[in-house]
Order: sequence, then structure tokens, then C-alpha cells
Amino acid sequence: MAIIEIEGLAKSYRIYQKQEGLLASVRGLFRRKYRDVEAVRGIDLTVESGEFVAFLGPNGAGKTTTLKLLSGVISPSAGTARVMGFTPWKRENAYRRRFALVMGQKNQLWWDLPAQESFRLHQQIYCIEPAQFDRRLDELVDLLTVRNLLAQPVRELSLGERMKMELIAALLHSPEVLFLDEPTIGLDVVAQHNIQSFLRFYQQQRKMTVLLTSHYMKDVAALCRRVVIIAGGMIMYDGSLSGIIDRFSGHKVITLVFPGEKPPGDLSRFGEIVEEQGPKVKLKVDRNGIGGALSTILAKHTVEDVSVEDPPLEEVIAEMFSLATEQVKGREPRPQLA
Amino acid sequence: MSDVVTSTIGDHAPAFRPSYTKVFLAFARNSLVRDMTFRSNFIIESITSLSWMAMNLAYYILIYQFTVSIAGWSKMEYFLFLATTLFVNAIVQALFMPNCEEFSELIRTGGLDFALLKPIDTQFLVSLHKINWSSLWGALFAAGLMGYALWYLPETPSPVAFLLYPFYLACGVAIMYSLMIALAATSVWLGRNQTLYDFWFYITNFSRYPLEIYSGAVGDPIRVLFTFIIPVLIVVNVPARLLAKPLDGQNWPLAVFALFATAASLWLSRLVFTKAMRSYRSASS
Repeated sequence: MAIIEIEGLAKSYRIYQKQEGLLASVRGLFRRKYRDVEAVRGIDLTVESGEFVAFLGPNGAGKTTTLKLLSGVISPSAGTARVMGFTPWKRENAYRRRFALVMGQKNQLWWDLPAQESFRLHQQIYCIEPAQFDRRLDELVDLLTVRNLLAQPVRELSLGERMKMELIAALLHSPEVLFLDEPTIGLDVVAQHNIQSFLRFYQQQRKMTVLLTSHYMKDVAALCRRVVIIAGGMIMYDGSLSGIIDRFSGHKVITLVFPGEKPPGDLSRFGEIVEEQGPKVKLKVDRNGIGGALSTILAKHTVEDVSVEDPPLEEVIAEMFSLATEQVKGREPRPQLA
Repeated sequence: MSDVVTSTIGDHAPAFRPSYTKVFLAFARNSLVRDMTFRSNFIIESITSLSWMAMNLAYYILIYQFTVSIAGWSKMEYFLFLATTLFVNAIVQALFMPNCEEFSELIRTGGLDFALLKPIDTQFLVSLHKINWSSLWGALFAAGLMGYALWYLPETPSPVAFLLYPFYLACGVAIMYSLMIALAATSVWLGRNQTLYDFWFYITNFSRYPLEIYSGAVGDPIRVLFTFIIPVLIVVNVPARLLAKPLDGQNWPLAVFALFATAASLWLSRLVFTKAMRSYRSASS
């Protein structure tokens, strides 16, 4: 059953272009330059109940804007979206009771107070019955191992500890849909892993529908089967993580180790030499030519070791991002005078 | 991971409307806990608030050394007027000032996102989520001054006046609040509205004096503007007049108008707030 349905969703902003210098600032009082930025350009997406979907994309791709549209924080310029049957930007309380948004770079807890005071406030706002509240808080506090931090002011918590508290605040009302905007940003490896483990476990237990944006491929690999790649406000890919390489990478990497101190000199005709260290060489070879290249090399030369790998996922995605950004740049409208 | 998760989604509390009183009490409690955390700051703010009140009082004590009446207001009548001014100010500063100031900043920084996610009236949440407890000393000071002035007033006000006074006091606070929240909400379109706060401070200054002083070529236009267009002049004048002056035919039209002005102010500010929230564009993550 589809829980999120998006059709032709678009959001554009008009942004004032501040010119450099005092004179330009004075001129700007009378005549201003604006630029239209299309943050999201008519995306279509359907998410089934219980899915854990990753939104990947470079900075400014439109990931956060999409999450803000789906949580009703902002209204779209065009298109429709239904989450659990609600139109998010109508901001109905019946909808707001059933989802949560966590933003890694923003804080919703009272800064100077212990997190438990904010949790009590949530209890009142979300009308959570006392027994249910205590039970949920106990569960979450145990899972995230933060019991000893409940009475500590939020401003004195580490970033990782604060993010755990943010997650508790977001989950106390037991949302059916959870939007996570870079929840592990700035966290060290251990804290990232803890948050990932918690999210994976909790989502599986609760069958929540989760939309996650992250720059960390490890988050995505650990949590999501489905990946949506968004760049320049458009969806470039929607499928499995492994499918990205199949679809967007036209090559593989062959690593060869030759006897002696140097590799043979005729390898560049099989593909691009991307790395050479003593007798070890890495060749970037067209996917379709792998078999031919390997059999020729092995027939012609003595090889001590050989391996064939897909290029690193990050590399493929980075290439894809830059390609998409180039495409989008070509479509950007020029600044207008107003 | 342990097996402590026992419930699944869907075990929501029934979709009750939250108790606004309970939420407000939670705001009040959290604000008090926060204020107590920064004890020295709380003490300094309390002293500042009380000193400002005392200086205001001293100023009028000095003036009444040289006159028996200001625009028809005797010393004790004027003390009632002053007490009403100080009381309204204290309530506005305790409840709404910190929130409206923060509201503008939340709009600019995108911090308003979380307020828009909560299943509760956003205007209520934004307007009351912080309470400046130290400003409430001012309300106590004003109540004391009011008691003193009533004791020495030559004529005790009627029971009707005593009944209507708190009602019109609440109307006055509502008008001030409406003005403040509407001005703060314009940050959505202006990006920043520090100047509008100054503007608010200047125009509310007019509310601190009796209507009678606004007469003549300069006074009349000011009186009309700040009574009928931006009704800050009725905030203090209507309740204070009910207690300090005998109830007569002159007071009633203004008192009736105050009802209309309060309803119109609340309605208009709600309109501005709602439109502003629709235009909110958040800030970059």
C-alpha cells in the first residue's frame, strides 16, 4: 500500500542577488537583482508502507526541500503530494500527529534544559497517555543507552548524544512516517554506527516508513534497500544501491600484479591506467571489453595476481552528481532585474 | 539490540485535542526551570524590572509636587492609570515579548520548522512557549501601587467597575499582543524586522498617557490615529478610566469601542499570522 504519493512536485524560490561592495548595496536599495532557483523540479515518487528509502544527492539537490514539502513546513509551487492520505502543507493536526521530522543540523529540544523536560512537553502536545509515554520513553532510552543523560542540560551533551535525544523526541508519539534529514551529520564513526543500528532495529520492529537523506554512503548501505538519487531537483535514479553501478558505471577496475619490478609497457591499450605502484597496476576497462582484455593480458604476460572489481560506489555517484549538476547548470535561467 | 520494543505503530493515543492549559503550564514550568538555572541573570533581570517601575513612579511623584492635576487626573487617579500601564507592560513583557522577539529570529533562521510540525495551534505555540518570569515582579509592583491608589482615592469605584476592570485589562493586553505578533510575523516577507520593533516601541509609548492630553492641532490627529486605526490608546485608558473616574455617559462609548477594537485586532493579527505561515519558506538546512 502506497503511503507517500508524489506527482509533479515542484518548488522554486526567488532569491535576491546581493552584489559585492558598498556602492552596489546602495544601488540594491533601488534596483534589485533576483534569481529564480528551482529547488525541486516536478518529481514523481511513490513509497510503500514500511519502506526505508534513502534520498541521495549533492548539496542543493533538493533533498531537504522535498522532506520539508512532505512534512508541510513549506508549500510547493506546483504538483501534489499525499502522505497517509493527507496533503502535508494543509498542516492538519491529524497528520502532524502521525509523522516526525528529524534534522541533523537543527535542534528542537530546549537548549538550556535537560531533554526529559522537552519530552514531557511533547507528551502534552501529542496527548500521549502517561503509561504509554513512560513505556515508550523507557524503550527508547534503553535502546539508545542514554538513561544517565536524561537529567543533563541539552547544551552540555555531545553532538551524538544530542542526536539520540532528538530521535527520542521524534519517536515518542510513535510516528508512522519518519523523515530523517542527515541524522548522522558531523558524528564520529562510533556515533554514526550507533544511530544506524538503532534506526535499522527500530524501523524493522515498528514497520515505520522512513525517508532518509544522508551524504554518508555507509548510512545508506546499512539501512536502505531502495535509493532515490536526486540532483538539480530531479530524480535521476530510483532503485537498489547495487543497481546504481550497473546502470551508471560503464567500466570495471582490473588490478594486476606482475613479477619483477615494473609492469609491461603495453597495458594502456586495454584501458586507462589509474594507478601504478611498482609491479602493481590498476586498469579502468570498459565493461564490455573485460573478457577480451583479460584473456589477451594473461596470454601475453605472466601475472602473479589478478582481481576485477566494480569502481567504488562513492566514485560512481560523484560522477553522476557532477554530470547531473552540469546538465542543470545549462538550464538555469539568468538573473532578472526587478 | 535488546527486545524491549513491544508495541508497533498504530498504538497511538486517540486523536485528542491537546489541553492548551496543560501545554501552557508545561511552558511555564520549563521557563521557570530555565530561569532558575541562570540564577544571577534572573536576579539582575528582576532588579532591572523593579527599578524601571520604581523610576516611573518616582517621576510622577516629582511631577505631582508641582501640580495637583495632569489633564484632569489627580495624583491618586493618575497612580491608578500608571499602575494599569505597568501591569499591562509586565504581562506583555512576561508572556509575549520574548516569544515575539524569538519568533522573528526563528523565521529568519528556519527554526520555525519544528513549530510547524507540532499538532497544536502554531500561533499558540509560537506566542507562549517561553515565559519571562522576572518580568512578573512588575505585575506585583503594579498591583501594590493599584491597592495604594485605591485606598487613597476619594471615591471608591463601583462594583461594576471592579468587575469590568480585569476584563478590559485583558482586552488591553490582547490588543498589545495582536500588534506585536502581527509585526513579528511580517518577518516572513521582510526577512528581518528590527525596525518594526522600534516602531512598535514608539507607538505603544502613546498608550502610556491619558487621552485628555491628546488635544489641539497636534493632539487630535494623534488621538484619532491611535484610537481608531491602531488602537493602542484604549489599552490603558479604558480600564484605568473605569476605576479612577466615575462611570458616566462619556466612558461607555469608548468601552464599547474597546470591545470592537479588541476583536478586530485579534482577528487581523490572526489573519496576518496565517498568511505569514503560508508564505514561510524556511531557511537552508
